[in-house]
Amino acid sequence: MTRFLTLVRFELVKVLARKKAFLFLLALNVVPLLASVIALLVYLKMKGLGLGGLEYSVLVEMVRGLFTAHMLLFGWISPFFLALVIGDSFSGESGRGYLKLLLLTPVRRWQVVVAKALAVLVFLLLAVALGGFFLQLDLWVARAVTENPAMIWDVKPATTVLVETSAALQLFVLSFLANLALVGFFILFSMFSESPVLMAFISLIVLMTMQTYVLMAPYLTRLDARYGQVADWCFTRHLSRLSEIKTVQGILGKTLSLADPWVREPMVASLGWAAFFFLLAIAVFQRKQILS
Amino acid sequence: MTSPESTAIRVRGLRKAFGRKEALAGLDFAVPDGAVAGFLGPNGAGKTTTLRLLLGLAPADTGEMEMLGEPMPGGRVPVLERTGALVEKPSFLDHFSGFDNLWWFGSLNRPVTRERVGEVLGRVGLTEAAGQSFGTYSTGMKQRLGVAYAILHRPRLLILDEPTNGMDPQGRVQMRDLLREIHAAEGSTIFLSSHLLDEVQRLCDYVVIVDHGKTVREGYVGEILQSGQETWEVRVADGQQERAAGLLLAQPGVLSCRSGPRGLEIRLQPGQSAEVNRVLVGAGVPVVALIPHEASLEETFIALTDTEGETGHGNRPVPGAGVDSGAKARPPEPGGRS
Repeated sequence: MTRFLTLVRFELVKVLARKKAFLFLLALNVVPLLASVIALLVYLKMKGLGLGGLEYSVLVEMVRGLFTAHMLLFGWISPFFLALVIGDSFSGESGRGYLKLLLLTPVRRWQVVVAKALAVLVFLLLAVALGGFFLQLDLWVARAVTENPAMIWDVKPATTVLVETSAALQLFVLSFLANLALVGFFILFSMFSESPVLMAFISLIVLMTMQTYVLMAPYLTRLDARYGQVADWCFTRHLSRLSEIKTVQGILGKTLSLADPWVREPMVASLGWAAFFFLLAIAVFQRKQILS
Repeated sequence: MTSPESTAIRVRGLRKAFGRKEALAGLDFAVPDGAVAGFLGPNGAGKTTTLRLLLGLAPADTGEMEMLGEPMPGGRVPVLERTGALVEKPSFLDHFSGFDNLWWFGSLNRPVTRERVGEVLGRVGLTEAAGQSFGTYSTGMKQRLGVAYAILHRPRLLILDEPTNGMDPQGRVQMRDLLREIHAAEGSTIFLSSHLLDEVQRLCDYVVIVDHGKTVREGYVGEILQSGQETWEVRVADGQQERAAGLLLAQPGVLSCRSGPRGLEIRLQPGQSAEVNRVLVGAGVPVVALIPHEASLEETFIALTDTEGETGHGNRPVPGAGVDSGAKARPPEPGGRS
């Protein structure tokens, strides 16, 4: 067990040492961070000048909007990041011989697959949580300043908590499941290629084609019901449901919970697909010949 | 092929094909426990493939393997815990320092202290380069780090694939001393593949020679080299070579005679050298030097793995010399010989 944990830590260190990881962090967080800081400055500055201007409740609405945007952005760019990083950690490492060295240590092969997946997921969720946490911090600053009568005088009772802990945890679980399935999907592809770029492109093309088909399916179904049946087997439709704006806002606004069929069904389906991809990937990896 | 003492590695009927190319065609060998064994074979003989299969990096088509008493690849995890291995070039993480690489990969076996990592780095002469990233290392340095990693946990079995590849002469001597030291101090079995034959001869007490995916010869070096004949080099005054060759071949104790780079190379039945000298001097041929050639693994190796026959360029047999004189002609010096 300690060996497995060391392996996960090692993989995490490797992910963090990559420039891709840093760039992903930047790409994911730079828009919400900048926008929220600007909104905060506008709010405080206008208050300070006595111009009235931005109401606190408006600020809360803005930050909440940013939070939703952050979640959506995450849903869009995480597949690209995952494709690149997993391409590196399987195809790339296999091509460079890192994998060979790793398998000369007494770790089991399935542990390698699971540890690499875990490391990427941990990083991914920390990255998205960082943005969320910053937005929350934004509101805390606004509230602290607002409630300080020495600086600002129109104290208004308002919602100061952007995301309640339960909603945050639920969103976390959704992101985890959606990305778990994606990680499994990419790992499966990376078993068959030693070139990380090639693997990333091919798997992303497959993913996009699948999602395009899912989006076209409702219209095609009018022609023939079988088109819809095929679309049912596209796993991306569950993932897109999980990161859809309606789902995120529903959970934030407490109109939806994980127990709701709208969320529960794609969750269960994603978990099933993830299990399928992982088992298949591990089975392939067990038989893989490490030759370079 | 059966050895009475316990074996560290035993391989039986190992076969492996890549597509249509058969890399291993029923390999058998056994490395005795506590031996320093050399694994020899020409390029493409299947050495690295064998090590890959042994260490569970690729599955064998058929055949049985056993390491440290456990079947492989079934007992992979417990075996690898007690094995230090280096297969082909060591491929550590380029952007990690030598120290970090050792520490991380070492920790995957069992917890390792910083002192131990430092100590091992010192033993292979990498203390100064410990903080440097692996990508900037030279080939020899990479190889040293690979050996350092293999010996990190004081393994019972050390498997090294061409460990001195790309090292300078000092590095090779140092590595040889290091391996001897480890063998003496920790009693580990060492199994190393190499194409540097004199190195293997100096270090190993047991050899396995493979060619075309089959074991050609295996046994203790001493036994393999005992061939019942001696090789001597006879140097005579200029212009006397032809005459000397004629005289020598007339001797019953002389098995063969051919011209070497600086004199005549003759094979004798044991104990005939004094007689040869007497005959030559008696016939008025001035003998400048009579030099014994120690039996070398190289000759045995070439003889065992030489299949083309027409490799004797540059070593023309003396006209009219013995029948077998050309048969064991040596090809041009193999590259790695120092």
